[in-house]
Amino acid sequence: MPTDVPTAPHVPLPASILSQGPNLIVSIHAALDDQQLERLQRDLLERVGRDRSRGILIDVAALDVLDSFAARTLADLAYMAQLRGARTVIVGIAPDVAMTLVRLGVRIPLTQTALDLEEGLEWLGT
Amino acid sequence: MASEALRGDQPYDERVVVELVPVLRRVVGARIKDPHTVEDLVQETLARLMSSSRRVDPDKLHHYAAVTARNVVATYAERNDRARNRSHLLADPVDVAPPPTEQLLLQEDREFVAAALGQLSAEDRDLLVAHEVHGQDTSTMAAEVGSTPGAVAARLSRARASLRVEYLLVVEAIDPPSDRCRPVLRALSSSDRRRQRELDVNGHLLECETCSQLADRLFERRGQPAEDGVVRVPVSRDADVVTARQQGREVAASAGFSTSAQTLIATAISEISRNIVKFAERGEVAISLVTEDGRRGVRVVARDVGPGIADPDVALRDGYSTYHGLGLGLPGAKRLMDRFHLSSVPGEGTTVTMEKWLR
Repeated sequence: MPTDVPTAPHVPLPASILSQGPNLIVSIHAALDDQQLERLQRDLLERVGRDRSRGILIDVAALDVLDSFAARTLADLAYMAQLRGARTVIVGIAPDVAMTLVRLGVRIPLTQTALDLEEGLEWLGT
Repeated sequence: MASEALRGDQPYDERVVVELVPVLRRVVGARIKDPHTVEDLVQETLARLMSSSRRVDPDKLHHYAAVTARNVVATYAERNDRARNRSHLLADPVDVAPPPTEQLLLQEDREFVAAALGQLSAEDRDLLVAHEVHGQDTSTMAAEVGSTPGAVAARLSRARASLRVEYLLVVEAIDPPSDRCRPVLRALSSSDRRRQRELDVNGHLLECETCSQLADRLFERRGQPAEDGVVRVPVSRDADVVTARQQGREVAASAGFSTSAQTLIATAISEISRNIVKFAERGEVAISLVTEDGRRGVRVVARDVGPGIADPDVALRDGYSTYHGLGLGLPGAKRLMDRFHLSSVPGEGTTVTMEKWLR
C-alpha cells in the first residue's frame, strides 16, 4: 500500500477535520475512494502533530459502504495515531454496514467504536 | 396522359404499375377529400414507383406502392402545413439555395464517402454501387453471381456496416492501432452477435481505447444502446470503484432488494472492482437484472485485461494477499453473494461473475 504516491492535493476531500480542544473531529460527507482514504489517513497523522491532539473522532455515518480496504485503512490509522500519542474512536457505523463487515470476514479489531458523536466524545473525555 | 409518359420513359413494369392505380386511389382517397388532389397525388406516386420499380421485387410491389402513397400524402400534408404556418412571411427560407458553407460540407462528405468506399473489398464495393447507385435489385444481382436474393441482401447489409466503420475512420482521421480493430468494429457495426463472440469483441474493447471510443460512436449513429438493461462501468481508477458500487446499489434498489442486501451487493462490487484497479489497470463492471427459475436477482460481471490469476483456488483463500491487504477481497465478495464464479486465463485476464437473488 504505497502511501507516498503523489495525489492531487488541490481537490478537497469530501471530509472536514475540526480541531476541538485536545481532539480532532473528522466528519466524512460522502463516499471516499481508496486514494482519498489514504489521504485522509496522512492528513490526520500530520494534524495530530500540528495540533498536539490527544484524541481523534471519525464519524463514518455518511459512508454507505465500508469494505475490507476502508476497514483496514481506519484500523491502521488508529494504530498509527496511537503511536503518535492519540486515541481514536470511530462512530456512526450503520447497522447494514456492520452486518456486511462481519459477513465479509473483517475480523481485525476496528479500534474503539461508539454509537454516535455524543458517545464518542464522552469516551474521549472532553 | 400519365400512361403516355410512362410508356415513353420506362416500359418495364407499365402494366403491373397501372394495375395498382385503383389501390393507390383507395389509399390516397382514404386520407384526402378533394378528388383533384387525390388524382394529383396518385400520379405523383405512380411517377415515383416507375423510377424505383426496377429495384423492387415484383411480389412486393403492392406493399411498396401503398407505403409510397402514404409517404406522398404525408409530404403533401407537411407542405400544406408549412405553407399555412409561413403564409405571413415574405420569403420562405427553405427554398433558398444552400449556402456556400453547406455546399462545401456536402463536397467534403462526398470525399469522405469516396475514401471510405476505397477501403472496402472490391466485391463489397461493386455490390454496394450496383444496388445503391445503379438501383439493381437483389434478385438480378443474385442471378448474376449464382446466389440467392437473401444471401445478396445479407452481404449488402454487411457491406453497409463496413462502410459505416470506414466512413467513421475517415471522418475522424483514425488509423486503427491493431489488426484486430477493423474486424471488431465491423462485427459491432453489423450487430453480428456470433461474429462478436468469435472475435471476443468485449475483450478487445477493454484493451483498445480507440475502438472503445469508436464503438460508442457506432452505436450512437445507430441510435441504440449496446445491450438493454446492462449498466456498464469502466474501471481503471480508484474513483471508478466508488462509481461501480453506487451503480450496483441503484440497480439492486430498482430490483427491490432491501437496503441491507444493497449494502452487501455494493460492498462485493467494491471488493472485486478494487482487484481490477490493483492488478489489471483496466476493466469493466457490468451490472444487470436477471430472472432465473422465477427468481429475480442482480448479476455482476467484472472483466479485466490483466495478468490473470495463476491459481484461483489460492486467490479465493482467506488471508491470501499479494499486496498488503487483508486478503479478503475475493473470498469476502464470495461470502456476500449467493453465487460466485471466477475464471482466469493467465496473461489474458480475469472474469468474476456473481449473483444475488431476491428472497
